[in-house]
Amino acid sequence: MTRGFAGSGAALLRHGAVVCAIAVVMFFLIRVIPGDVVDVLAAEGDLSDSEIAALRAELGLDRGVAAQFVAWLAAAARGDLGLSIRFERPVAEMIWFAVPGTLALAAKALAIGLTLGIGLAAAAVIWPRRVFVWLVNAVNLWSIALPTFCVGLAAILIFSIWLGWLPVLGQATLPAIVIGIDIAGQLAKPLHEDLKEIAAAPFVRAARARGQSRATIVFRHLLPNAAPVAIALSGLILAGLIGGTLTMEVLFGLPGLGTVALQAILGRDYPVVQAVILVFALAIVLVNALTDLCQRALDPRLRHD
Amino acid sequence: MRISPVCADEGGAGSVRSRGAAIAVVILGGAVLLALAGPALSGLDPLAQNIGGANMPPSAAHWLGQDHLGRDIFTRLAVGTRLTLFVALAATLAAILIGAVLGLVAIASGRIAETLVFGGYDLVRAMPSILLAMTLLVALGPGILPLTLAIGIAYAPIFAHVARAVWRRESSAGYVAAARVMAAPPLSILSRHVAPNLFGAIVTQAAIVVPRAITTESVLSFFGIGVTPGTPTWGRMIADAVRHAETAPLALAMPVAALSAITLAFALLGDRLRLGSDPLRRGMAA
Repeated sequence: MTRGFAGSGAALLRHGAVVCAIAVVMFFLIRVIPGDVVDVLAAEGDLSDSEIAALRAELGLDRGVAAQFVAWLAAAARGDLGLSIRFERPVAEMIWFAVPGTLALAAKALAIGLTLGIGLAAAAVIWPRRVFVWLVNAVNLWSIALPTFCVGLAAILIFSIWLGWLPVLGQATLPAIVIGIDIAGQLAKPLHEDLKEIAAAPFVRAARARGQSRATIVFRHLLPNAAPVAIALSGLILAGLIGGTLTMEVLFGLPGLGTVALQAILGRDYPVVQAVILVFALAIVLVNALTDLCQRALDPRLRHD
Repeated sequence: MRISPVCADEGGAGSVRSRGAAIAVVILGGAVLLALAGPALSGLDPLAQNIGGANMPPSAAHWLGQDHLGRDIFTRLAVGTRLTLFVALAATLAAILIGAVLGLVAIASGRIAETLVFGGYDLVRAMPSILLAMTLLVALGPGILPLTLAIGIAYAPIFAHVARAVWRRESSAGYVAAARVMAAPPLSILSRHVAPNLFGAIVTQAAIVVPRAITTESVLSFFGIGVTPGTPTWGRMIADAVRHAETAPLALAMPVAALSAITLAFALLGDRLRLGSDPLRRGMAA
């Protein structure tokens, strides 16, 4: 791998191409969907044939798909994502209002997941004879065997219905914990394997021989060296995070991109669907690019080639 | 590969793992039995409503009670098991066809075909699978077949990349080079020399994908864009029951429990297959 500024430039270009291609493919895919928003509106209220035709013309839906695409692309290039057909609000505004909810849930879940995952893996290396090794395996099996969808439903069933503790719907703590445990499970096991290997390395023995404390060894020697493994897992973690957030939002009735996406897909609200997909694609590509950068920053071997 | 220290370290885990495989077989066997014999056993119609019996607890006639419309939960669960397993297995098969088979044919057909087809897989991979399946499903319309296809497409890239990895490993093998020297056509090298070695890798991967396909199906049906309302898959049952969870908790708890049990079974099975397929670690699995 030849990596330098030219390398990052090429990677950036490739990432950009993926986002553009997704935008194009989705645009046409969505328009293959039988029935447009006008059909949905007509089914909900009484619209005469002339009103339907007028509405289609107003929304530009009577034009060919190619013409619609050119119009959309030109507007998108100016940063204008169009109007939501159903809610008659700017799409950018709808996304803007939905993003904080999703980000807050994702950030909470990520914080819980990283703390738990890294903490368990580190604890299992420091005290290999205690319960932590078992916990690492348990949380790993948990995340493989129990989809967040199931855990979320079970949580609703147990906490709000059987125990009657709290109004579960509409609050973000429980879903964040559910997603967080899932992330921790995916992270803890590979991280633990890696930490075990590093802990056996001569430089760790040397540090121990110098009389350094356990905390110093863990924070100065073990964890920084395990960072590349954690970062390499970021794609997997992100996929779990996005899928989990989407599902949990709908399940727990939280405002956010997942709820917006579902409503838009069910209502054939093309501009909103496109925008949501674009936002997710951008997020994924951004994280991939950041992963690339972090790996190079943390691993000097990748910098000079 | 760290062989000796890992074996010493995880010696105790082996027995847990084989017990896991036994648990998996019991759960899966139970699910298949329920799917095949369940509806006949109860002799009830999964769609028959009986408002008088709404939210009734389990009884001699209704083994798991009745849901908010008085439908028999056991029969619905059995029919749901049949539908859910069918969709998941068919979707995985579709993913193998779209991913591994198409991917390998593209690889065998030359550089340009490979770039194009794998570019397509990369696009699919850059989208959250649930969002992609949602969009595809709305485009294809509701129903069992579109559902199968949408989930199949969303998971195809996983199989494509497994297939390519095996192809790259195998194509540097001596016997493949020998076949090339003998001017065997690429497709025959693929089918006669590479495909047999691919089988194990695909099966292992399938054990990972099937439970995900089950979950995806359930989530999609829960969102109301999977199967039509008259089709009681687990996701559909959950969607119906979640609004009436306080009065008929079993109608929600049963499909959730079934979904959890089946994903657990596949996870245990996949773990076992992964260890079994790696000769260096095979000793540990026993």
